[in-house]
Amino acid sequence: MSDYSKKRVLVIDDAALVRTYYRSALEARGFVVEEALNGLEGLEKVLLQAFDLAIVDVNMPQMDGITFLHTLRSKELPISGIPVLVTSTESGMQDMAAARRAGANYYLVKPIKQETLAEYAAIFCGAAR
Amino acid sequence: MPLIRKPASPPETPAPDDRNIAEMLIEGSDDERWTAARRTTLLPEALPLLTTALSKERIARVREAIFTALAKMGSSESAAVIIPYLRSDDAAQRTAALDALRAMPGAAAVHLPGLLKDADADVRLLACEIARVLPADDASRLLEELIERELNPNVCAAAIEVLAETGTAASLKVLGQCATRFPEEPFLAFAIKTARDRIGSR
Repeated sequence: MSDYSKKRVLVIDDAALVRTYYRSALEARGFVVEEALNGLEGLEKVLLQAFDLAIVDVNMPQMDGITFLHTLRSKELPISGIPVLVTSTESGMQDMAAARRAGANYYLVKPIKQETLAEYAAIFCGAAR
Repeated sequence: MPLIRKPASPPETPAPDDRNIAEMLIEGSDDERWTAARRTTLLPEALPLLTTALSKERIARVREAIFTALAKMGSSESAAVIIPYLRSDDAAQRTAALDALRAMPGAAAVHLPGLLKDADADVRLLACEIARVLPADDASRLLEELIERELNPNVCAAAIEVLAETGTAASLKVLGQCATRFPEEPFLAFAIKTARDRIGSR
């Protein structure tokens, strides 16, 4: 197992089972995982703590993932520079384009395999696979 | 000490009359449209006014005020105005529509069976989130029926997410059948196992 023990990942998704699934995949590889239930809670967390990566769903109550991204990218560095991996069931080109315009580093369509998620987390955390 | 004359009270800003509210809602500034949206529910023709305003509105906070006004009306008809926005290409609009429908569970429930059978998988998925605010027995029944016929793994996952909270022993059979139908989806296997464990432990 590679050592990602100092890499902190924020998972923002309103689905508890999804958060648990991602946490399980990432913690098994040594990532430190924090969770947020929507974009608003995610913003509060990134303003208070340092993260190496945010994994963000699109459709969430109160603040969606695209609005979260727009807001994040409007902040000062280093907060605005956090890599963001968008995950969504919205597989249309329109949603991918919206995520890219908002500043997403990559877009994965659900359902996602744990290995795939961990692999992309390693890439965006700058860790060797 | 000299007497200080108390200044005359400033004249109160007159409350806009019904016609003004209707005009403000469509033609006013951002602030006026926002204010009008909150007052429109008092008018007898609120529903057509809010319907038109929502279709034209481009400012997010005003749009949210209109969604809130429609949710406050809480009728099946006002829910019907919101529902098409679940199909929006704009994630913020979908979220606002979903939040509004979740704030009017009784009215949204009338449309839920149809939404759970919608041709668009993304609409069915959002409908599962609306089911979450219904009484647990109603939500479980609707979602069990959905899972039995659903072919999209993401929609099943959204239904299972809610069933993990609302489901009973009666849900276990449907969950087991779902696992058999999607043997190649590791997330669904994980979600079903977790949901079954949670239901079983209650």
